[in-house]
Amino acid sequence: MTDQRTSDAAFQQYVVPELEVMLRVARSLTRNAADAEDLVQDTLVKAYRAIDRFDGQYPRAWLLTIMRNTHINSARRRRPELVRDPDNAPEQPAEERTDDVVEQQIDGRILEALDELDEAFRTIIELVDIDGLSYAEAAEVLDVPVGTVMSRLHRARKRIRDRLVDEGFGGGRS
Amino acid sequence: MASGFFARVFRRGRDRPMTCHEAAAVLQQYLDGEIDDTTAVRVASHLDVCRDCGIEAETYERIKSTLAIRRADLPEDSVARLRDFAASLQSGHAPS
Repeated sequence: MTDQRTSDAAFQQYVVPELEVMLRVARSLTRNAADAEDLVQDTLVKAYRAIDRFDGQYPRAWLLTIMRNTHINSARRRRPELVRDPDNAPEQPAEERTDDVVEQQIDGRILEALDELDEAFRTIIELVDIDGLSYAEAAEVLDVPVGTVMSRLHRARKRIRDRLVDEGFGGGRS
Repeated sequence: MASGFFARVFRRGRDRPMTCHEAAAVLQQYLDGEIDDTTAVRVASHLDVCRDCGIEAETYERIKSTLAIRRADLPEDSVARLRDFAASLQSGHAPS
């Protein structure tokens, strides 16, 4: 038996602080609250088993890599969901209120435009703007170069921006 | 002497105001905090004086801030279950 206390301490130090980030990313990858939780649990199990071999460098990147591979493998095992289930979509924040109707309209348009983006563009927006990952971390999750993250992000945001401008809400360069 | 000349040329390039085209090329990285401090200062200086680029940046900032609201949207019960699960792994109950 290896030193379980050492493993537990490393798990506590490197993995547990990343739980919330892992859950956010899992929700972006699975688009389903229950599947996201399952994905994080599977990732935790794998991380726990591998913690003895982890060198302590960049724990988030290490965990996101495990999560990505776990997600890819589980997606291979079952048919991917083609339709987003609105009942299981992440809930909208209830506490966000503003008296300014125009502001609400802008928020609504932005979120609508997000939902209408192609899968790859929506995912990159969710990882960076909603989950708060850096470009390098998002690249790790998607297994693409950082340059691809930047170009997808740019194009995705531009589509949202163009929709706002077309509807008379945004401004800037024509 | 030669290195001083090149350093001056390089510095002049870094000091001169950005064009709209240059600012637009790095605007997303600027808004995401993914560029170096020197370039960030140059972008900020450009946005201060260029109306079109300033409005463009505001539009993108608005999009980012609206999307970031969703960041607060993590169900506590889900997080609690995962914390319990992580604790159970540490107690030696990892699934075989």
